[in-house]
Amino acid sequence: MNKAVNSLIPPEFFSARFISFIVLLVLGIYLMTLYPMTKLVTGLTDPFYSPTLLILPLIGLFRLTCYAYRKDYHRHLFNHPVACSIGFRGEFKGRSYTGETRFFRVENLHRWFMYFSVAILPFFYYDIAISIIRYPGYNYVISLGTILLVINTILVTVYTLSCHAIRHLVGGNIDCYSCQHSIRGKIFRGQSRINRHHETYAWLSLSMFFLVDLFIRSVAVWHFLNPVLLHW
Amino acid sequence: MDKINLKIYRKDPSVDEKEHYDTFEVPYVDGMVVLDAVRYVEENLDTTLAIRWNCKAAKCGSCSAEINGFPRLMCKTRIDKVGFNITVNPMGAFPLIKDLVTDVTGNWDILRKIPPFTPKELGPDQHFSMKQEDVERSKEFRQCIECFLCQDVCHVVREHYTDYFGPRHIVKAASLDMHPMDTIDRSTFLNKEGGLGYCNITKCCQEVCPEHIVITDNAIIQEKERAVDLTYDPLAMLIKGRRKKEKRVV
Repeated sequence: MNKAVNSLIPPEFFSARFISFIVLLVLGIYLMTLYPMTKLVTGLTDPFYSPTLLILPLIGLFRLTCYAYRKDYHRHLFNHPVACSIGFRGEFKGRSYTGETRFFRVENLHRWFMYFSVAILPFFYYDIAISIIRYPGYNYVISLGTILLVINTILVTVYTLSCHAIRHLVGGNIDCYSCQHSIRGKIFRGQSRINRHHETYAWLSLSMFFLVDLFIRSVAVWHFLNPVLLHW
Repeated sequence: MDKINLKIYRKDPSVDEKEHYDTFEVPYVDGMVVLDAVRYVEENLDTTLAIRWNCKAAKCGSCSAEINGFPRLMCKTRIDKVGFNITVNPMGAFPLIKDLVTDVTGNWDILRKIPPFTPKELGPDQHFSMKQEDVERSKEFRQCIECFLCQDVCHVVREHYTDYFGPRHIVKAASLDMHPMDTIDRSTFLNKEGGLGYCNITKCCQEVCPEHIVITDNAIIQEKERAVDLTYDPLAMLIKGRRKKEKRVV
């Protein structure tokens, strides 16, 4: 019985560090959704009361199964290992470890979440367009929200397109570029250039994601204003 | 003149039950590397010290050790970079022979398990010339000097008793897999027999590689993605199935 449970739930999930992380995450989400229902305010779509919330688990799974985040949480949540230096890595012989062979085999489904994430990218651009044309009282507006949405969208696009799964599909799965795939070889080399900084984009876009959503939520409950910067 | 305080791991498994550390004072000369200091000890202070080294040019991969707890080549680690208090340990992932010398024979046994290079058969009037853009990809992996620092730092190899081959051997398999003339796909073999699933992408191997091979991104993740093509992604399986089989999966 114990063995069966161990094969389903990795031992890392019982570590104090991981449990405290989950408690804080749940508390944070709960506090953010306490506010009353609002949909579109000053051209910005409230992420907590729109279909965005429904797709959030898939976006979350795309990030959770991403190679950049895998490195970070295996290191910093599970100490497998926390650092490379011997003696400071929090790793020792005899400690239970299954890697990505049992529960974490689910990380191999990253490809599926990547397909989904690419499919929803246009909606980020749609949100920018809405923020320009749906500001009450004006025809077209560039607001602070628009600027933040543009930065957020660029970061999410670069993060998604620099993904390792995309790197594989655009040319990583080919061995002979000169045979008949020279264009894919060029795309592969170009994508590899942004892929090198995938982890940076991952954290930048995630931080921006939180900041922008927090900004919109604040505007929605009138804790913050969305000033008009340009209009015509 | 500056002095280096050098603390060296000592143990002869045929005689000693426990390890101990000997401390030596070595005179510092500008531009010195850790190997110079260890050789000074071997030649002048304690001739019973066992070390392994060969080229002193970071190309033979013999002088791997753990310097101040970090796996490095002794010949490539400058004293002025690591400070004047230095502790040198042998590689902890391998059985000890004596002092700083470890037995890396197990790696050759793993290398023998990897399906060898299997080129396409060409007719008598056919020839294959490799273009530069194809050379570059597998050339990176062929820069490996087999110092086994990546194997030493890998927590799966070092701390967990799994059947994972280790980064060096995934790099070897990737160098064969990504050769334009090769006809074998080794990703399924690596996933099943090589324990590729045990790697959790923590990139320590990439951090310690003295040849700066991008081990995780260019070899391990690429092999993992190839395994996903064949096992987890029905869309890729469908497309690959429709295409003429170019590679034999082992």
